[in-house]
Amino acid sequence: MSPAPSPLEVDETDLDHDEEVGADRPWIVLVWNDPINLMSYVSHVFQKLFGYSKAKADRLMLDVHEKGRAVVSNGARENAEMDVFRLHEHGLWATMQRDD
Amino acid sequence: MILRRRRPHAFERDGDRTAIRLGDDERSMLANLAGQFRAVVADDADPDLRRLYPTAYPDDPEHDADYSELVHDDLVRTRVAAADTVVATASAVSLDADQLAAWMQVLNGLRLLLGTRLDVSEEDEFDPEADDAPTRALLSWLGFLLEEAVVAASADLGDT
Repeated sequence: MSPAPSPLEVDETDLDHDEEVGADRPWIVLVWNDPINLMSYVSHVFQKLFGYSKAKADRLMLDVHEKGRAVVSNGARENAEMDVFRLHEHGLWATMQRDD
Repeated sequence: MILRRRRPHAFERDGDRTAIRLGDDERSMLANLAGQFRAVVADDADPDLRRLYPTAYPDDPEHDADYSELVHDDLVRTRVAAADTVVATASAVSLDADQLAAWMQVLNGLRLLLGTRLDVSEEDEFDPEADDAPTRALLSWLGFLLEEAVVAASADLGDT
């Protein structure tokens, strides 16, 4: 999993910095269920790209299958975008968004 | 996603390499399909390719346009290169890890393309009388091969 960015040291009373803190909020990478990709293949891609154990990759894959989606990684925007790209390269339906 | 049953092996792991256990007919069919896949991907105009280029930022069209501009050509290039690898190794005795990964990328890419064309759903039952039965049979065969490739490629993963 991509490392989360270090927290910014910001004076909490300094409201001018609010937007900057928000901009650094970690992003999450989601994989969505689709009717074409094979379950074993999806688990394989999670293991290959993120180094997850088979148990963890299978659990995430089943979350995608049963709940419609799963968060597979998180981190700074550039890292999340790289993860999305690699998932797209492998044919998975991945999106990214701010972690609310 | 689809859960598949086990069938006899199409690929067999042999140390660092993966032996291909396919007949000549299957190999030439695969080379032909990989060649067609290459042409469609390189042409980059078929709307049924959309599942190969998903939206990264569904709530943010501006960021998504930037992302797409950044990666689209790379995605096309890696898929064309993978299809070239499959065509070049369709008659090979065995594959190295990178070649096996290319085979998997093409098998899955073909399934995404055909599955989108067929508008498949998880509830679909195979109807041998339907007009699209041959394409659905092809989709199923590609899935069998991909499933077998996943088993063979799992030996390349650190933790299994």
